[in-house]
This record gives sequence, C-alpha cells and structure tokens, in this order.
Amino acid sequence: MNAIMTSEEMPQVAAPTAEREDLLRVDNVSLSFGGVKAITDISFDIKKGEIRAIIGPNGAGKTSMLNVINGFYHPQVGTITWQGQVRRKMKPYEAASQGIARTFQNVALFRGMTTLDNIMSGRSLKMRKNFFWQMMWYGPAREEEIEHRKKVEEIIDFLEIQAIRKTPVGRLPYGLQKRVELGRALAMEPDLLLLDEPMAGMNLEEKADMSRFILDVNQEFGTTIALIEHDMGVVMDLSDRVVVLDYGKKIADGPPEEVQASQAVIDAYLGVSH
Amino acid sequence: MFYREAGQFKTSYEADQSLFPIRQDRIGIAVLLLIAFVLIPLTANDFFLTSIMIPFLVFSLAAIGLNVLTGFAGQLSLGSGAFMGVGAYAAYKLTSIFPDVNVIFLVLVSGFFSAAIGAVFGLPSLRIKGLYLAVTTLAAQFFLEWCFIRIPWLYNYNASGAIEIPKRDMFGITVSGAEATPLARYFVVLAITVVIALLVANVLRGRIGRSWMMIRDMDIAAELMGIRPLQTKLLAFGVSSYICGVAGAMMVFFWLNAAEPSSYSITLSFQILFMVILGGLGSLGGSFMGAAFIWILPVFLKFIPGTLGIDIPAETVEHLTFMIVGALIIFFLIVEPHGFARLWQIGKQKLRVWPFPY
Repeated sequence: MNAIMTSEEMPQVAAPTAEREDLLRVDNVSLSFGGVKAITDISFDIKKGEIRAIIGPNGAGKTSMLNVINGFYHPQVGTITWQGQVRRKMKPYEAASQGIARTFQNVALFRGMTTLDNIMSGRSLKMRKNFFWQMMWYGPAREEEIEHRKKVEEIIDFLEIQAIRKTPVGRLPYGLQKRVELGRALAMEPDLLLLDEPMAGMNLEEKADMSRFILDVNQEFGTTIALIEHDMGVVMDLSDRVVVLDYGKKIADGPPEEVQASQAVIDAYLGVSH
Repeated sequence: MFYREAGQFKTSYEADQSLFPIRQDRIGIAVLLLIAFVLIPLTANDFFLTSIMIPFLVFSLAAIGLNVLTGFAGQLSLGSGAFMGVGAYAAYKLTSIFPDVNVIFLVLVSGFFSAAIGAVFGLPSLRIKGLYLAVTTLAAQFFLEWCFIRIPWLYNYNASGAIEIPKRDMFGITVSGAEATPLARYFVVLAITVVIALLVANVLRGRIGRSWMMIRDMDIAAELMGIRPLQTKLLAFGVSSYICGVAGAMMVFFWLNAAEPSSYSITLSFQILFMVILGGLGSLGGSFMGAAFIWILPVFLKFIPGTLGIDIPAETVEHLTFMIVGALIIFFLIVEPHGFARLWQIGKQKLRVWPFPY
C-alpha cells in the first residue's frame, strides 16, 4: 500500500459496514468564515451502526465538521443527507429532535446541576407535560418524571456512576465529568452520537473505561457513533472506518489499517519537506 | 447531630423526588408553616403584622420572582420594580372596572399583564447576555415608570397622581382599603405567597425548571439537547414577571393602601436584586432569607436604641441602620458570595457529620 489516496480516488473497502445503509451523507460541503476556509469540498458518509472516526492535525476542521452536522454552522456549499432525506438549513435544537446527540471537546455540562439532573436534561425532548401539570406536580407530571427517571437510572448503572448521582457536576473530577457528559448524550437515545475528543486529557485507565463504554454503546444500543480523537491507538482499535482531514480537506478515508498506511496521512501528521 | 438522614432509605423514585426528601426538613417546614399560620396570628400585634410580616412576605414573593429569572434562568434583570408596578396598576384598573369581582382573583389576574409586558421586554435576551441584558431591562424600568406618571388613565385621573386602594370585601371580611384589619391582610398575603412558592418549587424541579437551568449553565449545550432558547427565556421572563406583578399588586392592596409611581422605582428593583443575591441565586429558601435580612433587620435595628434607653435622634438611628446593614451586606458577601442559602447548606452539612469536621 503506497498509493496516495485523495478524495477523488478513495478506496471502497469491502468491510461489512460498506453494505449498510447510509445514516448521514455529507456531499461536497464547504464552510468558510469570511476569508478563512474551514472546510473545503468534503464528502463522506456515516453508515448505520458503525463507529466512524474523524481524525486530523490541529485546525484540520474536525470540530467544524461536527458543528455542521449539528446545525451550529451552515455550510455555504454542499448538501447533508440525513436518513435518506436532504436536510434543509436547521437549528441545533432541530438536529437534536431528529436524533443527533453530541459531547464537547471542553466538557459542556450544566455545572450547577447534579449528575442526575444533567442526565435527566437529556430527556427534555421526550417529556411533554405542559406548564400547568408541571405546576401541579402530583399526577401526570410526576408519572412522566418517574418514567424518565427509570431510563436515566439505567444509564447511570451502565456508566457505573451511581455514587455521584446527587453530586453537582462542577465538583466532579474531569474523567467523571466526561462520563456524565456521555450519559447525558445517551439519555437522548440518539441515532447518531457525535463525540468530540471523548478521551482528551484522560489517563490510561480512564481511556480504557471510556473505550469500553463507547464499544458497549455501539454494540448494545446499536447507536451509530462519529468520534474525533487524537489518540491514534484508540482510534485504530475502536473505529470501523476513519476519515482524515487536513487543512479543511479530506486526505484519506477507509478502514484504519489502510488509512494508517496512507502516505498522505503520514505526511500530514509528520510533515514533509517541500 | 439532630440533622442526619442516616437510616432514611428511599424505596421509590416518588420518595426520592419529593420536595423535602429528608425527614428533619419536613418537620422544619411544618413547624415554620404552623408558626406562620397559627402562632403569629394568635400572638402578633398590629405593628408586627403591618410593618414586618406583610412587607416581608411581599418582598419574599418578589424575590422569588426575580430569582426565577436571574437565579434559575440566568438572565440578569433590573426591571423587577417596574414589573411589580405593572401588577399594581393593572390590579387597580381591574378593581375600578369590575368592583364586584373578588379582589384576590383580580390580584392574581393582574400578574398576567405583568407577564405579557415582561415577555416583551425579554425579547432582547435572545441576543444579549449578562450585564448588557441588565441595561435593556433598565430601559423597561424607566419606560414603565414614565407610563405610570404620564398616562393619567392608569391612576383614574386622580389629582394626586397616586393610586388609592378602595375598600373591598371578601366573604364579608374587608381585605383591602384603609379599614381592612392587619390580620385579614396578613392571611391573604401569606396564603398567596405560600401557594405561589409551592407552585414555583414544583415547576423548578420538573422539565421546565431544568430547561431554565440548562440555559443558565451552558446555553449552547442546552440548545443541543433540544431546548429552544427563545421560548425558554421568554417563559422565564413571563413567569418571573407574573410573580413580581402579583407581589406588586399585593404590595399596594394589602400593605401600603396607596402607591405613587416612585413606589416602583429603580430603588425597589435594586432592593429586590440585593435580596436575591444576598439570599442566594437559584434558591427559593434563599429568597425568603434575603427578604428577611434586607427588610426585617433594619426595622429591628431601629428599635435597639429605644429599648436600651439610649437617647439618639431619629435621623441618626436611620443613618446608623444604613451603615450597619451596608457593612453586614459586605461582610456576608465576603464570607459567602453564594448567599445565605449556601451558608445554610454548609451548616446542614456540618450538622450531618458532627462531631467530626468532615
């Protein structure tokens, strides 16, 4: 394998994921802020049920890509197809209601709320009882609250954070905060889970735990996952397919072992003499 | 020592999500309610009711209103005084137009006028945050105060420019106007405050309360969880202004009997804001504690020289009170910037582990 893979001639791999249905397709998307081009003509797809990694050096446009998928940024050019339908310009809360959940590079928990409330907040979209019933509490509002509390407790059990249920998240150590954030995203029962550097700043043990959780989420709940990560060992072990960005352009796309061997990727990470 | 939840196990989510999950808290709140509804009416004199308890409850309710907006939804507002005024003027107009309708009902309805106006002035909150938002609510304060002065229809073309509350009966008991007994007024104010506080507590522990706190703590993440920022913020403005409006109407109907536009000036807004900050942002109990500190403490301080037999002129007492209260505010904010509510929590935590330090 010494061929340089460009976005035009990307290898169609015969991995089992290749035959699956597209959950999300990004076609020729370009995004710029004034004169700065964050993303240039990127196309890739995310298949149902896979773990898709997006990697690249700093400033490559990975987080911008997630923000586009989320509806935070609106690309000037290109289309996004979600579950077979071309998506119109939308707000982040609309993306959320369509089933896209997300964690952030810098933990974006609700610091003043407890772990339990943070994860409960992920159920907001699924709770319907109106202001009047909320005011009364006893009756429908409480039934709804308890029904969702049961779901949330399942997630708490799954992530093994029972002990910190009632602790305000601002007081938790960083590794646990990341875990709570994952729990909050899981509470939305998303179709697509976007993880922005889930292992940044973690030690080896925490990374192992988090990797296990990500694999379990993927296998047990069948959630499709797109993740950005800098730890190559983790990326190569976890993901089914990897897309590599550099300076806002796609330089490689394929299964981990192919991407690892790609000369363009090696050049992007190690630099080349011109 | 006495405050320990050891051995109190919850076997259902219902029990775990109740307002006061710890037995000692339930006993404490029951005792407080008993004092408020039975002991005080039996023992207190008119002065205590009119000058201390009624204003304290009115201010507590106003502080709860502002706390919903600033403490829970994170939107800083300096317009609470004006929103109280809207409630007062609306209730006054309503009772002039419908003299036979129950005055408590009208006071509760007047809050909706305040809520509508509050929601309009909450519109900039989608784009503006923090201190800048405070400045736009300041505009609401001055604009509404101007309305109270310049629109004579609001005060029924009264020559003095003030609103004077007429006598209104309810079930044969006079509850508003100069003839109403302090006891009747006290019960009305107490009942409204307790009921609204309870309803607000319910809203705050459910989905809507969480959505406000989500917006407060991290608005970007909140939007990603499906929270619509504009609707959520406007609801907070509406609910907050409703409560402030009811408090404002109670202030003139059951306490002052008459009010001028200057009663609802920026000074009142600041007073309410201090109660919220000192009591604790994001705490209902704190709203009561803040109101007690700002309102009741000065009243007591004024009586200290008299009871001790020290002969000081009245103005000096007034000035001394200002200085002492000011110094205490600074002292408490240095000791605990998160307000009395946090001090109370720390105290409870200490009791829980007593006699050990941690």
